[in-house]
Amino acid sequence: MGRNNAFWFALPAVASLGLFLLYPFLDVLRFSTWDWSGLSEPRVVGLENYRDILRDPDFYNSLRITLVFGVMTLVPFVVLSILLALALDGQPYERPIKALLFLPGLVTLGGAAVAWYTLFSPEYGALASLIPVPRWDQSPFWALVLIMLFTIWRHIGYGVLVVSARLKAIPKTLLEAAAVDGATPAQSFRFITLPLLRPAITFLVVIGTVLTLQGYTAVFLLTRGGPFGGTEVLGYYLYKTGFEAGRLGYAAALTVIILLLTLAFALAQARLLREEK
Amino acid sequence: MRWLGHLLVWTVAFLVALPFIWMAYAAFIPPEAVFSGNIFGQLGFSLANFEVLGREGFWEGFWGRLLFSVLLTGSVTLLQLTTGFLAAYALKEGARLLPFFLVLLAIPVELLLVPLYGLLVGLKILDTIWALVLPFAASPFIVYLLFQGMRTVPEELLEAARIDGAGHRVLLTHILLPLLRPQLIAAGVLAFAAHWNLVLYPRIVAGSKELKTVQTWITDLQRQNPADWGPLSAAALAATLPLVIIYLLYERRIVETFEEGLKG
Repeated sequence: MGRNNAFWFALPAVASLGLFLLYPFLDVLRFSTWDWSGLSEPRVVGLENYRDILRDPDFYNSLRITLVFGVMTLVPFVVLSILLALALDGQPYERPIKALLFLPGLVTLGGAAVAWYTLFSPEYGALASLIPVPRWDQSPFWALVLIMLFTIWRHIGYGVLVVSARLKAIPKTLLEAAAVDGATPAQSFRFITLPLLRPAITFLVVIGTVLTLQGYTAVFLLTRGGPFGGTEVLGYYLYKTGFEAGRLGYAAALTVIILLLTLAFALAQARLLREEK
Repeated sequence: MRWLGHLLVWTVAFLVALPFIWMAYAAFIPPEAVFSGNIFGQLGFSLANFEVLGREGFWEGFWGRLLFSVLLTGSVTLLQLTTGFLAAYALKEGARLLPFFLVLLAIPVELLLVPLYGLLVGLKILDTIWALVLPFAASPFIVYLLFQGMRTVPEELLEAARIDGAGHRVLLTHILLPLLRPQLIAAGVLAFAAHWNLVLYPRIVAGSKELKTVQTWITDLQRQNPADWGPLSAAALAATLPLVIIYLLYERRIVETFEEGLKG
């Protein structure tokens, strides 16, 4: 008795996720063949939206910015995660510091953006009254740096946790044996710790790529794509064309392209990092 | 080498904490200090910035929006925990649905703005409270976290209860609910933070005044008066503090849950 009908307990979750997650995920293909503003009657246009995107200079510009931003963010994020996890390992302050690093990922985003904005604004920011702050409201490069710092600030706790969990799984005896055999700390890091951390690094790189290819919230909160469209990452371009310019069909096609790009990148990275072993 | 590690950790910790310290400081700056530009020169303490927040009347002003958001996100969290708890129970009892949830885990919700908008238009719930609730009635992440927790409950315990005649209701409420309390708390905090931190979605699907979340309210204020950062910081602090307090209360549980999730 009882074992089979337990299936029904999953029904609320399955129904809700099917309708509001799986269905929209598949339905985006249908929308992508529409010319639709959300208010107007949709008009079926076939693959026209995709053709337009591939000819759209703004799309390529946005793709370029996203890739630059991705490299700019991922490299320091992964390096910092590793260094911090190593430096924290076994210290008496490991727990409280980890708790602090994790905090920015949970707190109110809008509030965090306000704190950053009032602190770093080059015109009337608090920091500007003490030291010169680069004009990120005029220079696309510095604007990207600001978004990068904000992104790393929000996710560093998670990065450290991922590396740290892996680090704790490395048997101490392995490092002791290496030390007995005369390996310097640098050598045992290079030849023992680093290779064993590879799964964690792969995980971070893949997750980080997915997030940078799809992220737009930080851009929306801090720069709104400016200055001069210099921080218009793909996710933000999607939001802008869909909900500010009212071209939902076009935005749906963009969604599909971003999903395909994400998939291609994630697979390529997973393969690349695995084969290097 | 060792001191280099200490230096790195404490520098990063300071930089990570800096926006929080600044937020707490700026919220109590007297308005005169902001206008004179002398921010750090004269130390002052003032609650004027918080008084400004209530100016627009309660329900459409900051405090009303904060209350609305707490109630909204709180209800969504309870809903997600309920659906997740039941689904995790079904999985534990042998329903072969784990692949379904794992696949859903890989779907990037943030990217589904357009089709979700289309769906809400079709269901005629755009610009209603349901647009903020129904799409979040269940989360594959919460199902997964709770299932991880339920896996640690020994099967013999449930079997013994069943032999004593316990049905699903007793198993769920009298045995699993108390045993899973820590996981429910951690999952609850994460679910709360995830819904609370939706920024663009509520703006798009529920833009009317009485449905504005506190996020949208703060972002709008930042748009309108970017230089008036006394009230801005006060709003940021008041909207952030509830989450910080909940987090600090359950910090150990949350970090541990994440670490366990990484092992699995």
